[in-house]
Amino acid sequence: MNAASLLLPLLLPLIGVPITILFRKQRRLQSTIAFLLMLTALGFTINLLRIVLTTGQPVTVQLGAWSAPFGITLTADLLSVFMLLMTQSVLCAGLLYALGSQEQAVQYRTFYPLFLALSSGLTGAFLTGDLFNLFVFAEIIVISGAALTAIADDKYGVEAAYKYFYISTLASVFFLLGVGALYVAYGTLNMADLSVRIAADPNAPLAMTGMAFLTATFLIKSATFPFHFWQPDFHAAAPTAVSAMLSSLVVKMGVYGFFRMTTLLFAEEAGLLKLLLVILGVIGVLYGGFGALGTHNAKRMLAYSTLAQIGFILVGIGWGTPLSLAAALVFTFNHALIKAAMLMLAGAMASRAAVKSASFEVIVGVGKYHPVAGLLFLIGGMALAGIPPLNGFVSKLMIFWSGVEAAQYIPLLIIGVASIVTLVYVIRAFMRVWFEDNPQAKPKEGDKLLAPALLIVLSLVLGLWSEPLVAFAQTTAAWMLEPNAYILAILGGG
Amino acid sequence: MNILTSLAVGILFAAGVYQILRRNVIRAAIGLVLISNAVNLFLFTTGAYNGTSAAYSTATTQISDPLPQALVLTAIVISMGGFAFVLSLLYAISTRYKTSDSDEVKGLKN
Repeated sequence: MNAASLLLPLLLPLIGVPITILFRKQRRLQSTIAFLLMLTALGFTINLLRIVLTTGQPVTVQLGAWSAPFGITLTADLLSVFMLLMTQSVLCAGLLYALGSQEQAVQYRTFYPLFLALSSGLTGAFLTGDLFNLFVFAEIIVISGAALTAIADDKYGVEAAYKYFYISTLASVFFLLGVGALYVAYGTLNMADLSVRIAADPNAPLAMTGMAFLTATFLIKSATFPFHFWQPDFHAAAPTAVSAMLSSLVVKMGVYGFFRMTTLLFAEEAGLLKLLLVILGVIGVLYGGFGALGTHNAKRMLAYSTLAQIGFILVGIGWGTPLSLAAALVFTFNHALIKAAMLMLAGAMASRAAVKSASFEVIVGVGKYHPVAGLLFLIGGMALAGIPPLNGFVSKLMIFWSGVEAAQYIPLLIIGVASIVTLVYVIRAFMRVWFEDNPQAKPKEGDKLLAPALLIVLSLVLGLWSEPLVAFAQTTAAWMLEPNAYILAILGGG
Repeated sequence: MNILTSLAVGILFAAGVYQILRRNVIRAAIGLVLISNAVNLFLFTTGAYNGTSAAYSTATTQISDPLPQALVLTAIVISMGGFAFVLSLLYAISTRYKTSDSDEVKGLKN
């Protein structure tokens, strides 16, 4: 029973890939199947959350009944379920947007299969308890994400996909090197088992090498400051429904890696890594903020903004206190909702412009005929900048509060000042699109606004009634700081 | 044998890094293949020389670790798919940009 509840959120999108390929000629049926499968997967994820919360135990499945350190383990502890809930809800919104999208890319017969492959890759990456299996799922994410970008309407989509694929393959190389080094040092790849063995003998030869390679991998995956250069290109060129997923979810895979590295794998020895995360996070906040100021394209602006927001999350992970971990989790969740909604709105405006582009020169004044979208964009922008009563305020307040509590005043001051920049670029974009006149702007049908509207409503609700999410994140942080329950659930009494 | 393999891994890495730093996109893709093969060889060495016989359950002498070989197989298959995809992207890029110089492939500015 529990095995099914854990496997279904992963299996449904995975089974959906061949099924949607079978129905490639019936576009309506294909998209409906994909959407229904994702909704069902989301339902099962909520069910999984209910089971984990009521039993207070991680749900684990040993694939093929190979007992723990030998086989591949799938585990849903509270952190996995937290990330899974975020992922599946935003993926459902993304599919909903794709259903109402006018883009050419969505018409391709392989769009929905690739989208479902991306979903199963993300789901699997958050559920697996095995380092090499994480690599496999990360590759699924990379290939499907790159293929989805290569079919974009944007004529530079192929170039963006090439850049992303190239840099991600290098990240995979680092990942494999890290896996190999840790295997030499500890003879296991099961994350729980590794955690026990690293704690027992932190100075094994190649252990630091493995940690360094894994750090490099996740820095590239999360597009943190010195490894970010591909990210704005990639996120700006992808089809809107996809770029919303890439900017809100795919970068979170790297963030998830850091959560696991600092609280499970290298729980005791992560001091240096945490310091690195704080420094890179602070630089990322500054660089992303000012980078977003200097852009001439709405989607590109939002991609740079992701760089800054990931910086906030990494700073939270780096401080590593219970409150700052909870803050990082809340930030992760809220950022996924807001950024997906904002990118969808920017894309929807681009689809209504005279030439299909999100460049400010093209979409200036387009908003005149779409006041509802303007209201949504304004609310989303306020949430991104952290203005009460929206969910972005809650996440930023928690980060700042945890910084005060941890007495980290210098990074706090820098990210506090840099977060004001968010307000500047969001308002500037809003003014240009909705308040400037453009004689070329004509009323025009474009992508449907239902999906971003749902996400914005959700972020409004989570701002006004943030208690459940904050409590959920705090419980998750408490679980993360007590990895013994996770280890025990996998290794069984071990 | 150990020294020979380490030298092979090192040479493959060096050649791969050199090719990656070239401006020609096709050379860069070849560099990627060289590096992923270097990594496969490295993974293979992580458990290759411990044992003297294959990992059958009836073996009486010390058995080799089969796991790195499984890892290498998976990694080879994935990198094969990835390389096919890179080549198809390169084909699209070279027909669209009419060049193989990576400095000329710069549509995405600002």
